[in-house]
Amino acid sequence: MTAEETIVSGFQDKFANLAGKIRVARQRRIFIEGVDHLNFSEVFDYAVREPGFSILLTITGLDEGQTLGFIYHMARPDGIILNIKTSVPKERPVLKTVCRTFPGAENYEREVADLLGAVIEGLPEGKRYPLPDDWPAGQYPLRKDWKPETKDEKETQ
Amino acid sequence: MKFTEKVTNWARIKSPWILHFNTGACNACDIEIIAALTPRYDLERFGVQLKGTPRHADVLICSGPVTKQVKSRLRRIYEQMPEPKFVVAVGTCSCSGGVFDGCYSVESGVDKVIPVAAYIPGCPASPKAIIDGVVKLLVSLEEKEEREKR
Amino acid sequence: MHKVVIPIGPQHPALKEPESFRVTLQGERIMAFSARLGYNHRGIEKACEERTYTQDVYLAERVCGICSHAHSTCFVQAVEEIAALAVPKRALYIRTLVGELERIHSHLLWLGVAGHEVGFDTLLMYTWRDREIVMDILASLTGNRVNYGINTIGGVRRDITPEQAKYVLAGINKLEERTKYYIQVAKEEVTLIQRLSGVGMLSHEAAIKLGAVGPTARASGVDRDTRRDDPYAAYGELDFKVVTDDHNDVYGRTLVRMGELMESYKMIRQALKKMPDGPITVKAPRKIPAGEAVSRYEAPRGEDVHYVKSNGTERPERVKMRAPTLANMQTVATMLKDRNLADLPIVIAAIDPCFSCTDRLTLVKDLSTRERKVMKWEELHSYSMGWYNAKGIEFSELNKKLKRLMAGRR
Repeated sequence: MTAEETIVSGFQDKFANLAGKIRVARQRRIFIEGVDHLNFSEVFDYAVREPGFSILLTITGLDEGQTLGFIYHMARPDGIILNIKTSVPKERPVLKTVCRTFPGAENYEREVADLLGAVIEGLPEGKRYPLPDDWPAGQYPLRKDWKPETKDEKETQ
Repeated sequence: MKFTEKVTNWARIKSPWILHFNTGACNACDIEIIAALTPRYDLERFGVQLKGTPRHADVLICSGPVTKQVKSRLRRIYEQMPEPKFVVAVGTCSCSGGVFDGCYSVESGVDKVIPVAAYIPGCPASPKAIIDGVVKLLVSLEEKEEREKR
Repeated sequence: MHKVVIPIGPQHPALKEPESFRVTLQGERIMAFSARLGYNHRGIEKACEERTYTQDVYLAERVCGICSHAHSTCFVQAVEEIAALAVPKRALYIRTLVGELERIHSHLLWLGVAGHEVGFDTLLMYTWRDREIVMDILASLTGNRVNYGINTIGGVRRDITPEQAKYVLAGINKLEERTKYYIQVAKEEVTLIQRLSGVGMLSHEAAIKLGAVGPTARASGVDRDTRRDDPYAAYGELDFKVVTDDHNDVYGRTLVRMGELMESYKMIRQALKKMPDGPITVKAPRKIPAGEAVSRYEAPRGEDVHYVKSNGTERPERVKMRAPTLANMQTVATMLKDRNLADLPIVIAAIDPCFSCTDRLTLVKDLSTRERKVMKWEELHSYSMGWYNAKGIEFSELNKKLKRLMAGRR
């Protein structure tokens, strides 16, 4: 079995509900789609512990329409990247922080909070990133329906 | 050579002190500005000195498309410079926003925030273009002075 | 002396200027450090969604002017993977060649900046003069000194002639000789070793835990390099060493970068020798089929990661770019803890941050005197030099020595 196949079967053995959701895109690239946000932490912690994905590259936030999607891009020293995807409803876009495992995740989490409006539970106190301090509340530039004109209109109201 | 003549000419007249400010640029122009001060291009032989504070500067050299974060600081720096003062926009981004024109987080050009006396395009502006631009500015000021005397 | 944390509100009443760094001191010792990033936030990821893939190649290049090729290559790699394009080998070799040339110019630039931050200005002048050799090579190969525009989706835009290859080799030979000399200085000059050793300590464990990348991580013994671990372009076919060091400090970071320069010279020679003939580009569709890809590139500062999601149109659905400095910024607070304020400039410079050095403001609050002041980078620099001069560490002698020795070698 290749290293990628070993990793995949590990996940499948441990998490029955991930059946059919794990895809080996190519050598060194694995994607796990649609992980329920309620058991995301379990899947994430397993990925760090067992197959040893000890590096968090970054967190990508996406506007999926009704939901906000998040991809946690993780890596191993042997070069394999595991991309774990989860989604939360836009009306309640709450995620738990992964800062305790990866202190470096702070900036990535602040970024999805600032640009997409995610609410990260457990994030330590700190300055926002990357938007300026006087950026108006409720304006999330990376959302698909956000246009710079909307912000200017709101500012003049 | 006409270029060297022009340059040595104004070098005798003025020795401008410049302040460099990056308003959110990708650093390419900034590196070329600093390269203009290194041995190959050597702006310092024309008396140009890079200063650390706006209160000693004649010329403010700006790079970058002016991000919203930096806008108020740019204005403040300009206000702190003593008269007469001139602003040079280095690089396409500070002239018009460059590739970032239209992005939500930028003003798209230094002249949207403070008055600009000279525009040096290029992505990035090469050290030669920077020297040329600064010389043109100073020659034009000198000529203006002459006209006003008459 | 007990430690007290003074919260400073987002808008300090006396200062309308947003500070980039906040430092809490107890006397001269740094108790806490935090960085306020975002000054360079230009909204690039959003802009990528509003432009075509081809336009985005040029936008990606301008994320950072020093590692522009890194970003543009990382981006096109992701798009090419989604579109399943078979990029010709010759193009991959040309990308590798430009990539290593970029690494050389970046590391020489860094050497100069580091020299400047400690007062070794002669090093700045000589390394930046050497760097002009690389700038000339890059200009002759690509048409520009910076922002090369060599990448396109499906390959590269310019080929390299045998004459240009000879020119590159001649330049590399010269640079290698000079670099050997800088390495000698770094290894033998007591003043430099004293100034950089023990400064900006980052243990091996902390480097891993905080997610450090690039030379910053490798100087703490973290044996990671994307070129070897997750090969891209032509790196899979080149023979090179990953340079690590276990000083865990700024001195180590200096040695790692100089070692990488030597490896880059070797790689360039190999790449030129092994470069196959053939086309330099393959036709790419304007509309990229729906899909996604994660691409990585070992930029001079560390690993660059791009994620691209396409939706079958000529514009991407989402582009995410994680530059290496964001990963390394997390380590600075640890490196500065319990250190002197005088160490701040070189420690920050040592992670080779990808934001301009000249406009950063630092808010310094001293718990023992209750004093609060804003320092410009120049003031911190002068403070740092003054502090070390008082301890007998200054570079006027080394400056003179380097000048004499370089004069002798001409």
